[in-house]
Amino acid sequence: MADKSSDLVQGTLDMLILKTLALEPMHGYGIAVRIEQVSQGVFRVNAGSLFIAFQRLQRAGIIRSEWRATENSRRAKYYVLTEQGRKRLNSETREWGRQVAAIARILEAS
Amino acid sequence: MSLVRNIVSGLRSLFRKERVEGELDEELRGFLDMAAEERMKQGMSRKGALRAVRLERGSLEVAKEVVRSAGWESFMETLWQDLRFALRMLRKNPGFTAVAVLTLSLGIGANTAVFSVVNAVLLKPLSYRDPDRIVTLSGSSTTGEAPLAAPKQISIPDFQDWHDQSNSFEAMAYYNSREFAVMPGSEAEYAQTAVVSPEFLRVFAVEPIVGRFFTAEELKPGGGGALIISHAYWQSHFGGDPRVLGQTVRMFGRTLPIVGVLPSGFHFPGMTDLWLPAIGPAGGTLSRSAQNWLAVGRLKPGVALERAQTEMTSIARRLEQQYPQSNKSRSVTVARMRDEMVGDVRFTLYLLLGAVSVVLLIASANTATLLLGKATARTREVAVRAAIGASQGRIVRQLITESLVLALVAGLLGLLLAYGGAKGLVALAPANLPRLAETGVDRWVLAFTLGISLATSLLFGLVPALYASKIDLNDALKLGGTRSVIGGGMLRMRGVLVVAEIALAVVLLSGAGLLIKSFIALHNVALGFRPENVLVMRATVPRRFTPEEAQRANQVFKDVLSQVASLPGVLAAGATMAPPGHVESSGSYWVDHMPAQPDLTGSTVVLSIVAPGTFAALGIPLKSGRDFNDSDTYDRPFVAVVNEALVRKSFFGQNPLGRTIFCPFDSFKGMEIIGVVGDVRQFGPAREPMPECYMTYQQHQYNGTTLSIVVRTAGNPTTLTETLRRLTHERSPDVPVKFTTMEATLSENVAASRFRTLLFGIFAGLAVLLAMAGVYGVMAYAVGQRSSEIGVRMALGASTRSVLRLILGQGLVLGGVGLALGLTAATAGTRLLTTMLFRVRPNDAVVYLAVAVLLGMVALVASYVPARRASKVDPLTALRHE
Repeated sequence: MADKSSDLVQGTLDMLILKTLALEPMHGYGIAVRIEQVSQGVFRVNAGSLFIAFQRLQRAGIIRSEWRATENSRRAKYYVLTEQGRKRLNSETREWGRQVAAIARILEAS
Repeated sequence: MSLVRNIVSGLRSLFRKERVEGELDEELRGFLDMAAEERMKQGMSRKGALRAVRLERGSLEVAKEVVRSAGWESFMETLWQDLRFALRMLRKNPGFTAVAVLTLSLGIGANTAVFSVVNAVLLKPLSYRDPDRIVTLSGSSTTGEAPLAAPKQISIPDFQDWHDQSNSFEAMAYYNSREFAVMPGSEAEYAQTAVVSPEFLRVFAVEPIVGRFFTAEELKPGGGGALIISHAYWQSHFGGDPRVLGQTVRMFGRTLPIVGVLPSGFHFPGMTDLWLPAIGPAGGTLSRSAQNWLAVGRLKPGVALERAQTEMTSIARRLEQQYPQSNKSRSVTVARMRDEMVGDVRFTLYLLLGAVSVVLLIASANTATLLLGKATARTREVAVRAAIGASQGRIVRQLITESLVLALVAGLLGLLLAYGGAKGLVALAPANLPRLAETGVDRWVLAFTLGISLATSLLFGLVPALYASKIDLNDALKLGGTRSVIGGGMLRMRGVLVVAEIALAVVLLSGAGLLIKSFIALHNVALGFRPENVLVMRATVPRRFTPEEAQRANQVFKDVLSQVASLPGVLAAGATMAPPGHVESSGSYWVDHMPAQPDLTGSTVVLSIVAPGTFAALGIPLKSGRDFNDSDTYDRPFVAVVNEALVRKSFFGQNPLGRTIFCPFDSFKGMEIIGVVGDVRQFGPAREPMPECYMTYQQHQYNGTTLSIVVRTAGNPTTLTETLRRLTHERSPDVPVKFTTMEATLSENVAASRFRTLLFGIFAGLAVLLAMAGVYGVMAYAVGQRSSEIGVRMALGASTRSVLRLILGQGLVLGGVGLALGLTAATAGTRLLTTMLFRVRPNDAVVYLAVAVLLGMVALVASYVPARRASKVDPLTALRHE
């Protein structure tokens, strides 16, 4: 479960969840499916990792949760991005862009 | 913010567990259902869809477990579980728990007790404001030769120059202190009194709580006289009356008004209760050779000790050039007061702390062997835990928690032991150990106890825990039994621990042996006098410095002595300025004539004033000539009695009787030598006798106003105490008296040696007992392990004797290896003791031999019981067991 690259995976997964929630509040399954769809199947999210991330992000105050009915009138826990979460997403996106650009430059230079 | 949220959320999971779990369940089930529905839409059966989801997303049970164990609260929860489990395990094994807790608490308790003394004496800051800025300024010698009686004392003119020429100090003061006769009411008593110079209180940043310090007028020569008292003296003698100012105390035949009361707890120097103004040099005539004072100072803020020392050294060097007669090779040492106070005690205490920590090491090793033994018995339990998914770390954590609980319980018990132990230590310690009264359990001691408890729990818990967690699952579960699964490795490990225990015990025992031998040597030393049945009564006749009053003092002693001598049960009576074990005064002496420049030459001599009969009372043998008698009065030729050491040093086989000796004590008159007496160890048993010159009290009346009357009795000397007190007070009610016996004085002289010998002995005894228990434990375990082998041997015809020999041999091997290692370490370690040994060398063969024999016997005795049990093994039972 705790693979060696967990830090990297963790950080990335956090960002993907935040990005998904930026569009609209969503329940756990919805988030998993969205990530898979948008990444065109590159990321396959394990339930365990997903729910730990939820717990962690909630405790950090980046997302909050509430029980709502789904379109199929099932009860589900929906996660909502907080104001703090929105800020975090923005800063992390910028940082990610910077890093990707930097890595790209390094790779091109060689 | 998020920390708070984290804690709140964690606490919610802990305390509203059901609800949080329920929510997580529901959420995960929803996740699963939604995923499965998606599949079913594509035409899968519900069952197939669920399985596919599980494959794809991982087991939801595992996910739940992962989420649950992610937060900090789960750590707390497992800790709680571990704790409860540990307590249950300890309760279930009361024998093991009792032995382990007892062993450890002895170790922890002994360490805490010694530490509480170290803490009070060495570590606690002095209870003055900015104590690090308070320093002592001691006279020292650049050649290393210091005067005998008071090497650190200084003269007032030197002090004045230090004071005026230095600028490292905020305040600097000189003082001296002694017991003076005081008449608070109708009967005289002794009071510890200090005479202090103007800046004395500023050095300690202390202000009187009632009244004031001495005025400039009172500090001048011929000042009116004034007195400051301690808070304790105020309470005990004036009932804390706020109108104490202006009340008077009679001292030196004068009536002194009280002008101030100092705050509670201030008693510097020593246990001073009264402070008097030091009357400065009248007209600057005081000699630089009159080194009768001690000095203290307060450094200016930010001034380093080294800077102050450099400054003072250069001042002292200037004085040396300016006044070569008196100040040649004189210098000054600046030291922090705390360091100066503890002085050579530091080494003794740290050594004891080292010794007692070795006891704790042994106790830890012992507990570790116990735990190893238990780990074997628990192989199956551990294996089952591992099989159902506990990680190695989780198992180690569980086992360490058990050790922790054990150590903390032992620590608590140890604290109780230490509480009593520290009291015992304080009672045993030599009276001159500074700040001993401050010994107690404070937060530092508590922290120390907690610290060593935690440290020992790791020390004795980690190895067994790691061992236990590394078992081979397959073997352990398959064999089912507890025997011979991990026995080999465990046994080896336990053997190593026991060897270490023995080695450590040998080191302590060797140290104790050397100290004991040296203590015995100290006791067997020829003291030069007979201390048994001698009562000592110190008495002071108050007087001003007039010939009439000095003569009155002399008459008081003479009268009391003549009455005492005729009491029934009194064999001999005398009086001396300094009973053996103390040196009151020392100086230079010359034979036949005085040189013109007496400051530069002359050998050192101990000076003593005695009354006729003193030699007989103390049992000092008269070798030739005669004792003083009552007709050796002031108007007759001056006479002296010298000891054999002086004769050896100055007369080279000539007859000293009739020759003249000069000892500038209170006069430069020559004295005819009328007798030679045997040598007395003036500084206590540990130091060789010095040349000594005795003078008679009738010819040296100025310094004969405080004398110790010594009375040799037929029976118990203390029964005479009340009679002597009554006799003295009937003769003169203003004479304070104080009683002791020569034996008690002697015992004080060797108190330091007794203290460390006793403690070392106790620690070594504990160490040997623990090591013995260790050997026993390992041998009993080994016999248990080998009982079937022994059964086979006996079935094949081995005799009881040969089995006994087999097991005893194994015990002796352990003992022998431990002994060899221990003796090697001891020869290196006991060198630390060199300065504490008396007539014993650190590599004393007899001591090591005794240690070896003792330890060998201990190993034999400890192995004997298991060996007996082995030899009683019934071959049939043992074999059936297989």
